Amino acid sequence: MITLVRAEWLKLRTTAVPWVLTGIALIVNALLILVIFLTKPGGGGGGALVSPGYTVPHTTQQLRNLVGSGFQGYLFALLLGTLVVTTEFRHKTVTTSFLVTPVRPKLIAAKLLTAAILGAVLALVLLVGTVIGGGLTLAARGGSFTDMVHQVPAVAPGFILVFALFAILGVGVGSVLTNQVAAIIVVLGWFIILEGILTSLVHSAFKWVPTGAAVAASNLTRDRGQDFGLFHWWQGALLMLCYGLAFAVIGSLILTRRDIT
Amino acid sequence: MSGYDPDSGNRRSTVWPMSSAIEVRGLSKQFGPLLAVDQLTFEVAAGRVTGFLGPNGSGKTTTLRMLLGLVSISGGTATFGGRRYVELGQPIRHVGAVLEATSFHPSRRAEDHLKSVALGAGLPMSRVDETLDLVGLSDVARRRVGKFSLGMRQRLQLATALLGDPEILILDEPSNGLDPQGIQWLRTFIRHQASLGHAVLVSSHLLSEMEETVDDVVIVSHGRLVLQTTLAELAQRAGTSTGLRVRTPEIARLRTVLDAVPVYYRQTADDSLTIDGATPEWFGPLAAQHRIVLYELVHDRGSLEDVFLSLTHGFDAGDPTLMGGPVAGPAPVGPVAGTTPGGRS
Repeated sequence: MITLVRAEWLKLRTTAVPWVLTGIALIVNALLILVIFLTKPGGGGGGALVSPGYTVPHTTQQLRNLVGSGFQGYLFALLLGTLVVTTEFRHKTVTTSFLVTPVRPKLIAAKLLTAAILGAVLALVLLVGTVIGGGLTLAARGGSFTDMVHQVPAVAPGFILVFALFAILGVGVGSVLTNQVAAIIVVLGWFIILEGILTSLVHSAFKWVPTGAAVAASNLTRDRGQDFGLFHWWQGALLMLCYGLAFAVIGSLILTRRDIT
Repeated sequence: MSGYDPDSGNRRSTVWPMSSAIEVRGLSKQFGPLLAVDQLTFEVAAGRVTGFLGPNGSGKTTTLRMLLGLVSISGGTATFGGRRYVELGQPIRHVGAVLEATSFHPSRRAEDHLKSVALGAGLPMSRVDETLDLVGLSDVARRRVGKFSLGMRQRLQLATALLGDPEILILDEPSNGLDPQGIQWLRTFIRHQASLGHAVLVSSHLLSEMEETVDDVVIVSHGRLVLQTTLAELAQRAGTSTGLRVRTPEIARLRTVLDAVPVYYRQTADDSLTIDGATPEWFGPLAAQHRIVLYELVHDRGSLEDVFLSLTHGFDAGDPTLMGGPVAGPAPVGPVAGTTPGGRS
């Protein structure tokens, strides 16, 4: 299994898309940090971004929000996870992969593990980027770089966990929907549109949908998750994992029967 | 199971009996209402090149993909030394495959493609350079595959198949996209593989392309086995199966004469007919005896391609122009369907 994961990792890093997506995630994260600092205190021509009573992040929660500002980048982890499977079908490299690993669920398992690592690495990259970029901006604005760094241990584990879980979910969805375009439309459609509609109609559903489970798993609310009707962090993580694995099992069953012609 | 070890020929032969490296028994594949492969049975011997021949759409690719576990089997078995592909452990150490409709990620470098396969199969990285060298792609190892020509892709596929130094090679229409030099190179390469004791199964829709390469032939048509034999036997059949083209102003009289003797013939024009399997030595005296005027007497020697075409198209009973052919004669041999009976024209 380790050799298969190494092979999958090599496949990933020798194509352009994972690098491009990571780059885009970093840029989006940088823009989000800019927004935090563009929101100037008081009036002073800040326009729409004015937020009364604003100060440079200094409370624990504000600093944690800054460290975790790239949280929504989990969508990139999800996309990357999807691509780990669908790219093989798009470019017909899956024939070679199945020749090397004819027991197909084994290949999917290797892809799940690889995607989890990939998600965690993406999370780390974003965290490091945020701490450097956000931290320096904070310091330039008179905030405390050290105070921010002190909040990293509180944020990082949940942040990394959620990215890994989303990447696993991506592999699961990709193994069911092997058509790359279809898979991307479905995951983005769900997370950007459908999930929001569903949870606004049925508020109690939020804790059960992947985003709710992920927010719980991130534990960014520091044990106040129940106040927002969320699960405990470990329950949320388990739920996310179940979603990912359920799709992966269904996908493996479908793929095992599928004729590769 | 370890990979192929040239120093342990005896041990190896107990694992892969020389008699049959590949065994296909009663293999069938149903795609919805279509029976793509129908009760196919054949064997491929080690140390020999077996041509897997048949027209396009005769089930060759489906058969090869069933062997390799890519397409599920509806009935029968397809095994390597008694084991299915999925049971081989590290399959690419035993079986190398070049298949159509397999591709590469366009932005991946040739070298990286091979590395990912070698890693996944637990092969030493040194094999990557070795196989690149073997197929003549060393100079473009760092180039992205998207920039490769069809011929270069085909070579890269071959390199992928050879990574595990397999004792069995399966090649599906490998000469597609190769230039004449490439095809010549491929022939030499395939013969070399057989000389190492490896079994090679190579599919083609053209026998002429394979004539210089194969030892054995497995001919299929409409998913069914038409014939498994050696090339030598097939050549012999081609040599003996001749046709005699006769042009005469007395076609009606000639037909009456021919109807009285046990031969197959078909009229090809108002004044011409072809007698299957006949020789001038036999027909000349017959014509003289009946005082039939001849304008033309041509002795057609069947080529291997003719035999192949007649064998495979013989199954197309609906197409009269392809019926019969030079295989059939006074004493038809082999499982040839659709031969024109005497008198029919």
